[in-house]
Amino acid sequence: MARRSKISNRVRELRIQHGSMTQAELGEAIGVTRQTVIAIEQNRYSPSLESAFRIARVFRVGLEDVFSWEE
Amino acid sequence: MTFREKSAWIMCLALLVVGTVYFYLVGVTWSESGELAQPMLPLVVIYTICLVVLAVIGHIVIAIMAPKEANAQADERERQIIVRAGHYSSYVLAVGVVLSLGLYLFLRDGDLLFYTIFASLMAGQIAEYMLQITLYRTAI
Repeated sequence: MARRSKISNRVRELRIQHGSMTQAELGEAIGVTRQTVIAIEQNRYSPSLESAFRIARVFRVGLEDVFSWEE
Repeated sequence: MTFREKSAWIMCLALLVVGTVYFYLVGVTWSESGELAQPMLPLVVIYTICLVVLAVIGHIVIAIMAPKEANAQADERERQIIVRAGHYSSYVLAVGVVLSLGLYLFLRDGDLLFYTIFASLMAGQIAEYMLQITLYRTAI
């Protein structure tokens, strides 16, 4: 059973809002593979701070608009 | 499936195939002569060549299928997976080596020591690739 991260995100939602950007396109923009984007969206992987900032920058939003901590 | 996951599959399968054939040949010699055959350099060389050939052919095929991915560096998640798999598989190798050395202390059989260490090395490598595949498919 996959361990889920306590960090949840809105990457999928933002990607769709952002002109239906594909996972591959987002991956290319932040320098990771499509599979890593899939893992981030499914909360199976928490990206590094650098990648988190890159994602936020791609969507032109703040870090906390993309990622949040689930208690 | 990423290029690196495909690569892990290729290495895992190549090691399983070549390792099985190697130890099958050792087992056949053992059953025919009634005693463990001395490790032979030609057999180890053939083992290594077969492993390299299978690995090269497999990687050429997956690189042709996805040339862009093949040239790309491992991303941050892949690097973590590789490090973690290497860390845990080192325990498999360590346990194998300790058991082999223990066996040697009791049996004083150098040939058996060679085979058990060789098998531990193989098991460690197979465990590393299997762990990589598992981690690629689950959370990290």
